[in-house]
Amino acid sequence: MKLFTSYNRILAVITLTGLLAIGFLFYQTLGQYINRQIEDHLYEELLEVKDFAHVKNILPSPDGFNDVVVEYKKTNMVSDSSKLFADTVFYNPKKKHKESARYLKTQLVIKSQPYEIIITASKFERQEQIKSIILIILLPVIVLLLVLWLANRILIRRMWLPFRQLLTTIKAFNINQEKVFEPIRTNIEEFKELNKAILDVSLKVKSDYREIKLFTENASHEMMTPLAVINSKLDTMLQFNNLGKEESEILADLYKATSKLTKLNQSLLLLVKIDNNQLQAREEIDMKTLLEEKLSYFHELIQKRNLKVKTEISEFTIYANRSLIEILVNNLFSNAIRHNYDGGSFQITLTEGTLIFSNTGTQTGLHPVKIFERFYKDNTSDGTGLGLAILKQVCLRQNYKLSYQYEQGQHQFKIIFDSHENIF
Amino acid sequence: MPYLRMKFLIVEDEEGLRKSIDQYLTAEGNICDWASTYEQGYQKLSIYDYDCVLLDLTLPDGEGLQLLKHLKKINKADGVLIISARNSLDQKIEGLSLGADDYLIKPFHLSELYARVLAIVRRRNFNGNSLLRFNELEIDTISKETKVNGQLVYFTRKEFDLLLYFMANKNKVISKSAAVVHIWGDDADMADSFDFIYTHIKNVRKKLTDSGCKDYFQSVYGVGYKFGEG
Repeated sequence: MKLFTSYNRILAVITLTGLLAIGFLFYQTLGQYINRQIEDHLYEELLEVKDFAHVKNILPSPDGFNDVVVEYKKTNMVSDSSKLFADTVFYNPKKKHKESARYLKTQLVIKSQPYEIIITASKFERQEQIKSIILIILLPVIVLLLVLWLANRILIRRMWLPFRQLLTTIKAFNINQEKVFEPIRTNIEEFKELNKAILDVSLKVKSDYREIKLFTENASHEMMTPLAVINSKLDTMLQFNNLGKEESEILADLYKATSKLTKLNQSLLLLVKIDNNQLQAREEIDMKTLLEEKLSYFHELIQKRNLKVKTEISEFTIYANRSLIEILVNNLFSNAIRHNYDGGSFQITLTEGTLIFSNTGTQTGLHPVKIFERFYKDNTSDGTGLGLAILKQVCLRQNYKLSYQYEQGQHQFKIIFDSHENIF
Repeated sequence: MPYLRMKFLIVEDEEGLRKSIDQYLTAEGNICDWASTYEQGYQKLSIYDYDCVLLDLTLPDGEGLQLLKHLKKINKADGVLIISARNSLDQKIEGLSLGADDYLIKPFHLSELYARVLAIVRRRNFNGNSLLRFNELEIDTISKETKVNGQLVYFTRKEFDLLLYFMANKNKVISKSAAVVHIWGDDADMADSFDFIYTHIKNVRKKLTDSGCKDYFQSVYGVGYKFGEG
């Protein structure tokens, strides 16, 4: 729910109940006030009747009254002489329809004969008066509320404009880019504060991120020297003349682990390097030639695994950093070979602006997002788990679109070099 | 050349690494001197001449590159192989432009180090003489030709590199791991392609023996191979 909607909903409930409550109270008060007026009037009429009866010792004719209806009834016993006011509905003979009315009921004794006197007065006109009064008061109030609601709507929209701008700039903020968070211009104190807070956070995030990268870089570098020591000691041990089968096997395992660790470290450093945009020098690269070179570079590996390679390579030149593009192509090749099965196949398709590697593999479809995450790998893989993460990072840096899909037993990696600056 | 005594200076502050290099190089009959600080290196470089200097770039009391500058300033002809933990292109370019002959990134295999050092010494001392001989086997490192008893044998680029690598490290055991790095470099994510080296060696051996060469390769229990007599 939008803030404005939520605000309006609450406001609507309050104003409606308020309006109803006030209207009800207003109606009640007015009603009582009018009842009292009518009662006064009825009482006056009663006094007139009493005066008349007192002087003339007879009851006045019921037709002699203008706006009230008077009825007499003989009764036998005098219960009490109290007056009783109540509401009723009566038939108005002049207007010929029923109206709500109020009556006064009392008793009078004339010549020892008790009479019940009922004086009834119509409430119709007074009710009409109340309706008019309520309308006159309520209508402007409702109009006022509508105007307020509209004004609110416009005002809130205008006042939240900086917030929307802020949101756009926050969304545009990228931790990987050199560009810092761009504060918006506003005069409103709250937004200024928000602006400042976000700016501070973004700077902090950036510096933390830089520190983490620096840490990764330094840690990896620091590990290189001990690794060099291990490697050299292994090489030295390998020269011993009395190496038996068992020792050799241990050495072989140690070599494997060390070279994997080295590879892992190098990959981490490479990721940091790509992240830091350290590979910037750009040049024209003939993708067709590069792919053909790499194909012969990987030739023996492809042959050993007995893979069938299909190529559909057309002329295409790209303007980019050579190291990055080589890393990209190397990783695509490594991936297609490593995760294939013996006797499988892979296909390289290069068209204007698009490079596709598709290969058969031991696995079925993989998660299209997770596959590019660091250290995501299947249990059978002997790699570092960073190859595809590096691939993704290179593409991200160069604004290439990288996607993965699994179709008809083929794992397909597609790179679109569509950005204009990338195509020569 | 492996047949001659060579004199090296190892400028490296990490003792374990320095000792291993020392051991590997002296085993071939070479003479090794070492320095663990900038100051020591500075003095030794000023006084003695070396066939090749193995120079670490980060020393506790100074920059290795400054030593390189000093060496060139006093007009010494020593070959220089930079060994660095930093795989930085800028540093590599700077080192090479200051007159270093090669740049090796840590961690490395001693066989790789030795092959590079030999290449440097070969280039500097025997101008134009690019022939390596081992009994009936002769390879030309520039024209990349291999001859057995004067007869040309054809190798692929990788097979040739592998043979040269083993010849440079003759009588040493080279691990599969070292051979993989030598052939594939660091770029390819092929850390698990150890077994593949077997195919390569098999091909090289077959081509050599087919042309009448003695089989100088010996397998060492699946961990590596040795090239040499007996």
